[in-house]
Amino acid sequence: MISIIPKALATGSDPSFSKKLDLNNLAPEQIALNINELNLYYGKKQALNNITMSIPKGQVTAFIGPSGCGKSTLLRCINRMNDLVDDCHISGEINLHGNNIYDKHVDVAELRRKVGMVFQRPNPFPKTIYENVVYGLRIMGENNRRRLDDAAEKSLRSAALWNEVKDRLHESALGLSGGQQQRLVIARAIAIQPEVLLLDEPTSALDPISTLVIEELINDLKKQFTVVIVTHNMQQAARVSDQTAFMYMGDLIEYSDTNTLFTTPLKKKTEDYITGRYG
Amino acid sequence: MDNLQIGRHISGQFNEDLERVINNVMHMGGLVEKQLSDALASVEQVDVELAKQVLSNDYQVNAYEVSIDDECTRIIAKRQPAAGDLRLIMAIVKTIADLERIGDEAEKIARVTLENFSSSQKDLLVNLDNLGRRVLEFLQASLDAFTRMDCDTAIKIHQMDDKINREYEALIRQLMTYMMEDPRSIPQVMTVIWSARALERIGDRCQNICEYIIYFVKGKVVRHTTAEEMKNL
Repeated sequence: MISIIPKALATGSDPSFSKKLDLNNLAPEQIALNINELNLYYGKKQALNNITMSIPKGQVTAFIGPSGCGKSTLLRCINRMNDLVDDCHISGEINLHGNNIYDKHVDVAELRRKVGMVFQRPNPFPKTIYENVVYGLRIMGENNRRRLDDAAEKSLRSAALWNEVKDRLHESALGLSGGQQQRLVIARAIAIQPEVLLLDEPTSALDPISTLVIEELINDLKKQFTVVIVTHNMQQAARVSDQTAFMYMGDLIEYSDTNTLFTTPLKKKTEDYITGRYG
Repeated sequence: MDNLQIGRHISGQFNEDLERVINNVMHMGGLVEKQLSDALASVEQVDVELAKQVLSNDYQVNAYEVSIDDECTRIIAKRQPAAGDLRLIMAIVKTIADLERIGDEAEKIARVTLENFSSSQKDLLVNLDNLGRRVLEFLQASLDAFTRMDCDTAIKIHQMDDKINREYEALIRQLMTYMMEDPRSIPQVMTVIWSARALERIGDRCQNICEYIIYFVKGKVVRHTTAEEMKNL
């Protein structure tokens, strides 16, 4: 909300409820990801048009927009999931700590270790709960039992799942409920200590209570990781994110702090979308 | 009402809810306007019947406030309005609170008519006419701007309160000279001062309504700002 704070207040104590970042003028150390003139084509069809934005570190950034607006595509660009799509080509840059992830020399497996991802439907491996969580670490060559145990407990605690599964770590992960499975997948993603966590509609297959648990978890996760979330649920974006980007037909229409976007959006398209009007 | 664009929601039910609330605010505004003009007329014409009518009608204003408030709470709970819709609901909730208080002030003014002024003292009441007319005009203009959610008009008429304040101060000075000239008139003069005060307060509340209109349209909070800052909107 834009407010002109009276002078008397401006000099004394500060009554404002929220502090917002100036997204156009972030200091380099505040930036986790810097997307620069990103264009993406599926064959001849352009799916992302010249996206430029900075995603701040240690915060939750949400992408919202109608189906087909490119928000999932943009999210998937951040850990190069689109490389797996035939006929997809990309121009522009995404910089993680100043290094372009689309550079020729980038090891994609290493990139995905730094940029973890959680999908819409929970996808645990058909293994035990414990093995799911330590899977990434094992691949990285960690075999020390004690270190694996520690990592498993720490990740499961961070994912708010430890208390529910600590007595059955060696049972199949497929026996967990949907909400638990989704938290397990988050635990698996954070076990390898990524820098950025991408969440692609992480709660759309869950019931409202599991959704709230995950939302609470996202709020805790941002203390350690930079979180980028795609969601169809606008209220969810309003609740969990610090920044929100509204996308429409492959364009980034408006990107600002969540409080501003949901109370006083600058663009008419944003207003129409978040108030549920015809576009 | 065009710039409200209420009818464009995908949810027809939401459109209906909002339209109903806005219609009720219009009715409430009309009722408050009538209460004030009746209260002023009752003073001017020393019409005791009309004054009693104002007093007995105040409950209607209160009932409108309660029911609109209630409906707004329901809309927030069920629809989670955002952006313009949210600002509209907030503007409405605040506007009806001010309208309700204007209704109370009108009631105070009407009570003056019921006091026993001797014929020589009735001249005192004439002093309220000018101020009353100006305040009524301000209320009408504010409600008009609210109906159309006309931000430009709201910014323009926002200044009317300054004139009202100046007129109020002049009136107070004049009434003080009466008191100095004839201390026996103090009780009656005080009654007139209370009414003048009520009118001045109504001016402030109309100004608030203008600020809510500006908040709805521009998304900017202009409370406690100077006229200079307002110009730069």
